[in-house]
Amino acid sequence: MSLKYMEEFRDARLAKELVKRIKAVSTKPLRLMEVCGTHTMAIFRHGIRSVLPDGITLLSGPGCPVCVTAQKDIDAYVAFSGMKDVIVTTFGDLMKVPGSGSTLAKEKAVGADVRIVYSIFDAINIAKKNPTKEVVFCAVGFETTIPTIAASLLTAQAENVSNFSIYAANKLTPPALAALMEADGVEIDGFILPGHVSVITGTDAYRGTFEKYDIPSVITGFEPVDVLKGILILAEQNEAGRPDLINAYPRAVSDKGNEKAKAIMNQVFEISAATWRGIGEIPESGMSLRESYRQFDAAQKFGIDMPDVPEPKGCACGEILMGLKTPEACKLYKKVCTPMSPVGPCMVSSEGACAAYYKYA
Amino acid sequence: MTDNDIILLDHGSGGKVSHAMFADLILPLFDSPELARQDDGAVLEVPKGRLAFSTDSYVVDPIFFPGGNIGDLAVNGTVNDISMCGAQPLYISVGLIIEEGLPVKDLKTILETMAAAAKKANVRIVTGDTKVVPRGKADKIFINTSGVGVIPEGVDVSGCSAVPGDKIIVSGTLADHGITVLSEREGLKFDSDVRTDSAPLNHMVKSILDSECEVHVLRDPTRGGLGTTLNEIAGQSGVGIRLYEERLPVRGSVQGTCELLGFDPLYIANEGKLIAIVPEKDANQVLEVIRADEFGKEAVIVGEVTDQSPGRVILETLIGGTRVVDMLAGEQLPRIC
Repeated sequence: MSLKYMEEFRDARLAKELVKRIKAVSTKPLRLMEVCGTHTMAIFRHGIRSVLPDGITLLSGPGCPVCVTAQKDIDAYVAFSGMKDVIVTTFGDLMKVPGSGSTLAKEKAVGADVRIVYSIFDAINIAKKNPTKEVVFCAVGFETTIPTIAASLLTAQAENVSNFSIYAANKLTPPALAALMEADGVEIDGFILPGHVSVITGTDAYRGTFEKYDIPSVITGFEPVDVLKGILILAEQNEAGRPDLINAYPRAVSDKGNEKAKAIMNQVFEISAATWRGIGEIPESGMSLRESYRQFDAAQKFGIDMPDVPEPKGCACGEILMGLKTPEACKLYKKVCTPMSPVGPCMVSSEGACAAYYKYA
Repeated sequence: MTDNDIILLDHGSGGKVSHAMFADLILPLFDSPELARQDDGAVLEVPKGRLAFSTDSYVVDPIFFPGGNIGDLAVNGTVNDISMCGAQPLYISVGLIIEEGLPVKDLKTILETMAAAAKKANVRIVTGDTKVVPRGKADKIFINTSGVGVIPEGVDVSGCSAVPGDKIIVSGTLADHGITVLSEREGLKFDSDVRTDSAPLNHMVKSILDSECEVHVLRDPTRGGLGTTLNEIAGQSGVGIRLYEERLPVRGSVQGTCELLGFDPLYIANEGKLIAIVPEKDANQVLEVIRADEFGKEAVIVGEVTDQSPGRVILETLIGGTRVVDMLAGEQLPRIC
């Protein structure tokens, strides 16, 4: 793979022109929520808040996969790491997320075999190389990662890798948007929809939520020009009072999305309820293994069923994920909860709202 | 001892096998009269002046990567740390901690690279030590280097000396080393032209100091990258620092890898770059001196020291916005040097 970065979408002149147009068009207050951690990061990195008019507020939604992983699921990962002859494989972000008692990083430090992987296929290779051990993969992530997980399980099945399993805490984006719209106290005038997720789901996946709630929605990419263009579209809709669902990321996103990826995802998984950290259970927002793939279900294989646990006292991650509070409004922020010693998951992941505020604000 | 051999615990025993390795492998490579005396320590002639003394340990994984290996990294690292004190490095020590089973061929390559790096930097390896630990107790090889150098009279550089109005020069592209090492890790085999920037900077520092320009701060932004080092300087000097994103030198392939993996090049390690903070009146001349050095061709002025927000580093982004560049909190890539 050769890497050449696309600089066109960082064009300073174009970006400044967009800022000028946003300022010219924007007269009414506007509360926009980005529902993707990568957008949260991009907004901070490029200093986008600092160039917007005061009336536009950007809220960071439940778009960081680590942040929305329920504490009981983290507890399950920690439990696997304590089992004899089990290798736990995970994306790096999860290592420091506190469960109710410990973290994977702490368990690793005292001898558990926990390995960071960049892809689930690496985890399967670890299983193949260690036939006398069991390898569990901590499956978190949205529509962007679920098809890869599904494809890897098809590979594992074809190659008879029987010492590999996953604990799935994957989530789906559109049901979370609907849940936000239904929640008490949530005030959102528009959604900046996730670019990566939409590559898989397609624009059509949001049509139901859009039609039901009539809320301005725009799919954008992650470069400053993309994000500013998205904000301009939402500001224009807000001013005109004409909500619309717009795909402003057509270089990557189509109406139907990636049909092949969706088919693989639906072959291996079926839709189920899921618990979102800080928000609670959202119907039809998770993915469980279908009956014919249950041999890969780590929870079933090892008989793990962790109880629900209360959130740490004072942690406002849930309210932050719903746009009800900013990280600075959390009592623990920067005092007790820092990236060096995180209390809630929003401070752990680099895409978490609190970590992004801590680093850049 | 042939290239097909492997290092055994015997090689660190202090007995005959150890001595044979020293005599046959190490001594011929490190052309050093002090080492040849085989005393317990080196006795050194030191020119008049103040002594700068520094130490660093190298545990990089993998030990070989495009453009270098743990050996030249270890020599250049200490050479550069001494240089950033305004000193000319003279002598260094080498401590090797080897995991049994390391191929002799690999050790030889590393030692050859160290000898070449020392020669290039014009420093002498004057004392050392070798230990071998059982398999699994170290990872292939760890190296400690320490070194001393002499600070010429009249030179006084420190992270405490930045003053508002100073210009900040970076001697070349950012994040090359960290991204090179990361790209070599298992599962991340990118086809890219990125190489480590590991290089000795003492000749560049000498040229800067000989130019008679006023120099307030010299630092090499290694672990934690430019962002972390500038935060340290802002804190030490009690000043603000303003950077301009459009001026930050980052190779396209490094930027691409950073984007793909979610890293910010401001926080990624460099092993052959320096930051020079100098008064505005001398900035262009220092820039020219740095550019004339073989390792400074892509040097640029990336920002300035201000009296705004003391202790903080502010970046003006490409789109004209601003953001804080905080010190790295802890998500550092492990074992990059």
